[in-house]
Amino acid sequence: MDSPARLAVAPSGTRKRRGPLGWVSRDGLSSLLFLLPMLVIFGFFAWFPIVRDVVMSFQRTNLVDTPKFVGLDNFAAVLNDPLFGKSIGNTIYFSVLALVFGYPLPLILAVVISEARRFKGVLSALAYVPVVIPPVVSVLLWTVFYNASPTGLFNTVLSWVGIGAQPWLQNKDTVMPSIVIESTWANAGATMIIYIAALLSVPRELYDAASVDGASILQKIWHVTLPQLRGILLITMILQLIATAQVFTEPYLFTGGGPANSTMTVLFLIYHYAFQNSLGGDYGMAAALSIMLALFLAAFTAIYMWLTRSWSTNS
Amino acid sequence: MKTPRLPFRSNRTERPRQTVPDVHRGIVGALDWRFRRVRWTVRAIHAFTLAFLLVAGLGPLLWLAKSAITPTQDTLRMPLALWPHGFDLNYLTQAWSQTHIDRYFMNTVYMAIGSWATQLIVATTAGYALSILKPPGTRILTALVLATLFVPSIVLLVPLYLSIVDVPFLHIKLINTFWAVWLPYGASAFNVLLVKRFFDNLPSEVFEAARVDGAGPFRLFWSICLPMSRPILGVVSVFAVVASWKDFLWPLLVLPNPAVQPLSVRLPTLQPTTELNIFLAALAISTLIPIVIFLIFQRMFLSGGDVTGSVKG
Amino acid sequence: MTTKKIGNVRGNSAQLYRFALSYLSRVSEEMTFKPVRKVGTLLMAGLAVVIVAGCGSTAATPSAAGSTGPAASNGTTNKPVTITVGVLRPGASQDAADALNLQIDQFQAKYPWITVESQEYNWTAPTFTAALAAGTLPDVYTIPFTDGKGLIQQHQIVNIDARVRALPYVANFNKTVLANGQDADGKIYAVPTQAYGMSLTYNRTLFTQAGLDPNSPPATWADVEADAKIIAAKDHVAGFAQMATQNCGGWQLTTLTYALGGRMEAVDATGKVTATVNNAATKAALKMLQTYRWTDNAMGSTFDYNWGSINQAFSSGQIGMFVGGSDLYTTMVQNNNINPADYGITVIPLASDPNAGVLGGGTLAVVNVNTTEGQRDAAVDWMDFYYMNKLTTEAGALADAQALISNKQPVGVPALPVFDKATFDQSQVWIKSLINVPDAQMSYFKTKIFDQPLVNEPSIDTQTLYADLDPVVQAVLTDQNANIDQLLNDANTQIQKAIDAPAS
Repeated sequence: MDSPARLAVAPSGTRKRRGPLGWVSRDGLSSLLFLLPMLVIFGFFAWFPIVRDVVMSFQRTNLVDTPKFVGLDNFAAVLNDPLFGKSIGNTIYFSVLALVFGYPLPLILAVVISEARRFKGVLSALAYVPVVIPPVVSVLLWTVFYNASPTGLFNTVLSWVGIGAQPWLQNKDTVMPSIVIESTWANAGATMIIYIAALLSVPRELYDAASVDGASILQKIWHVTLPQLRGILLITMILQLIATAQVFTEPYLFTGGGPANSTMTVLFLIYHYAFQNSLGGDYGMAAALSIMLALFLAAFTAIYMWLTRSWSTNS
Repeated sequence: MKTPRLPFRSNRTERPRQTVPDVHRGIVGALDWRFRRVRWTVRAIHAFTLAFLLVAGLGPLLWLAKSAITPTQDTLRMPLALWPHGFDLNYLTQAWSQTHIDRYFMNTVYMAIGSWATQLIVATTAGYALSILKPPGTRILTALVLATLFVPSIVLLVPLYLSIVDVPFLHIKLINTFWAVWLPYGASAFNVLLVKRFFDNLPSEVFEAARVDGAGPFRLFWSICLPMSRPILGVVSVFAVVASWKDFLWPLLVLPNPAVQPLSVRLPTLQPTTELNIFLAALAISTLIPIVIFLIFQRMFLSGGDVTGSVKG
Repeated sequence: MTTKKIGNVRGNSAQLYRFALSYLSRVSEEMTFKPVRKVGTLLMAGLAVVIVAGCGSTAATPSAAGSTGPAASNGTTNKPVTITVGVLRPGASQDAADALNLQIDQFQAKYPWITVESQEYNWTAPTFTAALAAGTLPDVYTIPFTDGKGLIQQHQIVNIDARVRALPYVANFNKTVLANGQDADGKIYAVPTQAYGMSLTYNRTLFTQAGLDPNSPPATWADVEADAKIIAAKDHVAGFAQMATQNCGGWQLTTLTYALGGRMEAVDATGKVTATVNNAATKAALKMLQTYRWTDNAMGSTFDYNWGSINQAFSSGQIGMFVGGSDLYTTMVQNNNINPADYGITVIPLASDPNAGVLGGGTLAVVNVNTTEGQRDAAVDWMDFYYMNKLTTEAGALADAQALISNKQPVGVPALPVFDKATFDQSQVWIKSLINVPDAQMSYFKTKIFDQPLVNEPSIDTQTLYADLDPVVQAVLTDQNANIDQLLNDANTQIQKAIDAPAS
């Protein structure tokens, strides 16, 4: 961090030892002024809440009466809640499904589109349209598509090919895949654009060389394209995992966590503890679960940082 | 069929003749293109992709446009019939006047502009202080900022919410004001570190020269740092606007008053209490605006190459 | 917010993104140089400071549940005061808003120093807490009977005992109804504004289309099943539908349980409350739903209805019958544009069990704790004017009805008495000539409901109980192999836990 090459210009001599008054009168004051927005904003909306979250996880409080310290009770209550295991299971299920459906699709689209000789712009614009629609609008629109009656939109389409009406959001077995399909539709375009850009940076000589060596198209994809994209593929995967670990909007709007809690996710459970009991939330349990989620996400973030570092130094 | 035979080495440097547009060199190389089977397979795949994307990308929008002007019963019973019972543009005007989409859209815009501004202000001033001015304690402050990168704000939902309800020490209530969204957005460690890192790499000679000319810290910031960091500010801006555009949970919590709600919060509230045809008309209107913006700025969305080009290294 | 930046890849131009990544990766290099121990110590020190501050600031949030002192409403000086009232639901029609504005004008003419502002409000279990914690509720808002005692205990609503007791008709309140808004000592914190009994709401047009007689709606659960089957087969809609989300599933399951003679909670002589949701009647009710759903296939294909969406689906002709409050017609007019000819209502069938009864509930008007004394006086004046006058005085009843009529709002929707029967009957006479709802379609219910024993909702942790029963109802409706006994036993354990949890 202090390597001389990176050391930005400090006013010569100002960093020498001197009394606090002198420091303030010279450029200390302006430093303080420049730091102020960050100190205030981070103080109130990052550092303080983090500390408060930790504190609250050991307290019982209803915001009206004086909070009571209850040791690890909140953590015990969360761990003993049958919804806890269920929400973790659901979140993992969502993440896995999102990987299965949502991970290969943008890559395939990107490869196909970047090979297009005509309509390249049209193709990528079409794929990108769902990204532009506000996510909430998409979900509300898909709720109508998922109308489970035989005259629902998707069920009508299925009936054309002789498939019976599906329950979509109204059944615990089909609800999660339904949510993931929408979410894939809504997000694939954005990831695809990343891959298209990455594909541009694959050196063409590599393809030419592979051609010369007699590689087929599929072999080129396997032996040239994918290895070249390895770094970005890994990173999008980690980012997707971090994002899916926090999924909330889709289950909240599609199903409210149902049917029978089959789409209750971890973040939803935090929200549920804190805000869904009409007589006042259990902020202690919400904080305790937040801490657990934070630890998990921090681990992933660390992996991500480590990966991006090695990736950027390797390439 | 067999895999294509190895061509002669001399072909490598020669441009292939005819049929192949020579702009294109990618996975499907000139050599592959010479095979009829490859050409037709690739064309078939592209035709299929085009059809698929037309249905998946454009289909829902066209359907929404249709359903916005047909009666509820048609949507429920014959969703894919064109307009079995005619259409009525009145639903759109009704949706507009009954649901006040314009107001909620403007709220969405205010939310985005404000959070963009706070993020830029915090990121640039902090980046400047931590990278250029380097007051005592810089390392600790940087570490503290970095630490928050590991605690996604979403897990701070509850304490952050309580801070908005009653700002600690100051006892101000920010709920139902845009500040409740703008200010927490500013606490983005990612932005601060991104900008700091960028400033770290600005050429020091420029600063030396300016200082020799007698420029103070504010001049340096305003006339040297900011103009030179336009690319990174572009990055921060895009992130800021997109995140605010997509956010749902946070405004849902801190903006319970409909007068200040963005579209994303308002529409779900209206859903159970608004007739389906009017509601779909409202959805159609709220989709129209971003689609138009997208069409206008399409190139910016889909490429963005200029920005990277100018800041390589 | 912070993670969005790293967590949300979506929607960014790729190159910007990669550019950002490369920068972030260099940022992360800095980590290795961190003086970790120093930072740790600093954090600990910061933590200690903020713990103290944190406790202080939470404790300082508004705690006063109102003074119990005598009302200042008869004071001679009337300082200008503004109150917000939560009457209209989101998405209410312009007519409904106009009707309210007319009444506000009348009120302000009577009390020139009070300014009334309308604030959109709708009580739903999942959204109420956030609003309560945030202090964004209107100055006068409404809650269901179920939450009165709980909010009183938590000091979240104002003691308005003296103010209410100053009203002339206070002695006429139906005692059991008023009890929902009183604390253990009988102090009044909340005023009941309307009471409902559960009803079987049915679509007359769908009945006719299916070849059934809309004038002889089902009188037993066997009839309900038979008619539901016919409607589902002939009209291709849900013959019978059931709410299942936002605590309404539990609420409706409790209704069915009562109708079959069961109870959800038992209170022994010492006041100890035991959850009994795994009782025989509840099991029978769920088995009944299971049969409708899976054997008869008569419940359509939507099983995530809440209060708002079931009204809407009913109004748009998607539902043959459902169980709901007797007062739904107003909302269906205000929000759902119902065709009056469709609307049919009858009493819910009761089993022969001596304990069988109709679940009754209602609405309490309360005053927000974040109000001044002056606002509290004005708030009670508003309650008196807006909610009570129409029930207690002829002039009030007529004015209210006329305001509604001039804006095409329903007058004469079936309700249960908030006051004693005499007051109620009198109020019905006053507006008789102004009734604009399809009264013939409602009159059967209006007389019959008084023959049915009314049973209050479970008294302790009611909404928690409902919330824990939602998934049970959902499971039965969406999973053919749902194990009812198991589901109810698990729910019972959870509910008992909530009941036994120390009050915070």
